[in-house]
Amino acid sequence: MEREELAPHVREIARVLGKDVDEQAIWKELETYLNLYRVSLETAKRSIVKKLGGDPSSLAKGTRKQIGQLGVSEQSVDLLVKVITVNQRDIEVDGTSKPILYGILGDESGTVPFTAWDADRYAFGKGDVVLIRNAYTKEWGGQPQVNLGNRAIVEPQDPGAVSIGEGQGPYYQEPKEVRIAGLQDNMGNVTVTGRVMTLEKKSVETSAGAKTVFSGTIADETGKVQFSAWHDFELKQNEVITIRGAYVRGWRGIPQLNFGERAQVIRPQVKFPGAAELSRPTARSIGDLERAGGGIEILVTGTIVDIRKGTGLIFRCPECNRVVQKGSCRIHGTVSASPDLRIKAVVDDGSSAMTAIMGRKITESLTGIGLEDALRKAREAMNPDVIGEKIEGKLFAQPVELVGNVTSDEYGLMMIVSAAKIVVPEVREQAAALLATMEGST
Amino acid sequence: MISREVAWRVFAAEYNSSNLEVKGQEERAPSYVVTPLGAMINRLFVVGVVTDMENTGTDEEPLWRGRITDPTGTFYVSAGQYQPEAAMAMSKIQPPAFLAVVGKSRTYSPEEGTLYVSVRPERLTVVDERIRDYWVLETCRATMRRISAVEEALQMDAPSAEELMKLGYPKALSEGVVAGLSHYPDIDTSRYRTLVMDTLKYLLPEYHAEAEFPGKVEEGPEELEEEREDIDNEEKVLAIIDKLDKKGKGAPWDEIVDEAKKGGIGKNELEELTNSLLDKGLIYEPVLGKMKRI
Repeated sequence: MEREELAPHVREIARVLGKDVDEQAIWKELETYLNLYRVSLETAKRSIVKKLGGDPSSLAKGTRKQIGQLGVSEQSVDLLVKVITVNQRDIEVDGTSKPILYGILGDESGTVPFTAWDADRYAFGKGDVVLIRNAYTKEWGGQPQVNLGNRAIVEPQDPGAVSIGEGQGPYYQEPKEVRIAGLQDNMGNVTVTGRVMTLEKKSVETSAGAKTVFSGTIADETGKVQFSAWHDFELKQNEVITIRGAYVRGWRGIPQLNFGERAQVIRPQVKFPGAAELSRPTARSIGDLERAGGGIEILVTGTIVDIRKGTGLIFRCPECNRVVQKGSCRIHGTVSASPDLRIKAVVDDGSSAMTAIMGRKITESLTGIGLEDALRKAREAMNPDVIGEKIEGKLFAQPVELVGNVTSDEYGLMMIVSAAKIVVPEVREQAAALLATMEGST
Repeated sequence: MISREVAWRVFAAEYNSSNLEVKGQEERAPSYVVTPLGAMINRLFVVGVVTDMENTGTDEEPLWRGRITDPTGTFYVSAGQYQPEAAMAMSKIQPPAFLAVVGKSRTYSPEEGTLYVSVRPERLTVVDERIRDYWVLETCRATMRRISAVEEALQMDAPSAEELMKLGYPKALSEGVVAGLSHYPDIDTSRYRTLVMDTLKYLLPEYHAEAEFPGKVEEGPEELEEEREDIDNEEKVLAIIDKLDKKGKGAPWDEIVDEAKKGGIGKNELEELTNSLLDKGLIYEPVLGKMKRI
């Protein structure tokens, strides 16, 4: 690989490692990995970051997208685009003036506004076709906006690589109508209709000073979602609203709806399910939750296919509630820990699997093992692990119905269970119904 | 996001008809058994009747094997010294009983072009009939979903996972169906449809008088089992020969016959087994009436 091709990767490694790094050392490492050991560039970068004490997961993983596919919070994205307009202006940064570029980019799928935060780094003009790497997006009025920060790389391309029809594309696109269960992290410009289930007014500190935010949950037949309105739309509890131009941010995977003053809120005159009906938990498959990233007040029916370590009788630090090992909390040292019961189960419904965390009350009701009972049995056996084994014996392979909020992270889905019961459904009726539909269709 | 492999609900008839295994490109990528209906199985959940469970290894190096039957056929399960928890749990099972097993798909390919599948249990427990019945119902539903995905794909000019996903099928199933279609060109979904309908009748008492026990979709597992037993017994005979061959000049035939009898192998069977071992070149007859390992 040529030296100039490597330069952005060296810069990126330096960025991940922080300020005090020797770029020359990175050059040497990278060249060794690539030329001597001949590993892939991705592997090389990860290994070097790890070796020099950084976190490889903060390396950008650029994905190639078309403008039409852009979300409102892309971390690192590559775009092959034509520069439709580009202008320069100066902004004030810490008292000094600095030139930036702004304008509009386009490809076959649409157009998008952009800002390049250091005009001196780029040399493209109107009509040029370029490959932009490591750009990121931010939300502006519910729509994505492309930003070229200090990681961005712009490479000139053949002018024929992007062909846009004459006069195509105002950058405004019609918002897309989405049911609540269909919301996913990073979606921009959506229209959602739902009933306001809860509402509260809060003041939050932002970089631009104190701001009033109206937050709560709204629901439709497919589910519930938390929202934050960054503008006073005079929302009222229990009213049915349509929000046009909202965007979605994930919190631990759970999609949350955001909308500001550029969004539109209308009150449609439609028949809509009542609050009582909408307040029930929504039945979802685990595979569906995996696609959405999570959700609130979810009902899952599945089978317990594994019981994880950390199930049974545990001891918690009285200061911080962390689970202690051998009477010692990893923050507060030796403490007189208080006993507790917990289940960490893997629940699988045939579409996917998730971890389910159940606290003491649910553990007691599901297994019939009380805390006092557990302590006595553990003392008799002189081993607290027997409780976990007993729980496993009672629960493995049992079908359960669980209600709770489902989050996700790099280790998968997790439900914090608020209600649980073992349910072995009556199969005959359902078998007869399924048979009848099959006989009807042949 | 690393997601745990889902536990597929699949009937023995469908699972045992599989002879396609796919492996991901990346390092340490999991492998999957692809069934004719496109299930991509790395892990599965099975509930059935355990009909036999025995240790075919030794006390020191146990190898527990068992059979679990569902309304359509038999699952072969095995766990050995490297699955101590599962092997321990299997050793405590007294057939017959309803058994629930979560396990990994395993394959065995004695020669190119043939692939036999079995289950390596991770966890197992005895359950009651209601849980078995619920599993049968769930598995009927899951099988029907796969049947309809295959039927949709068959109607496409160029079946693709993307098109199936647009119709609402999950990613893994969509990919499995497309992989399956090119490998199992003559897939007949109506057979599986009949199998599901027969199995549903199995759950409904009003059909019990007339319902035949649902048949197997394809033969094969029985032969496999025989073949495996042969291989196990051959191992036993080899062990006997090793044991009796004290001076390195071969084990006397009469003593082999006696020893084999204690191990439950009759004289006729023993002759077949030694012939097979002679054919395979694993033993030879240094002098008449003596057998020796090569």
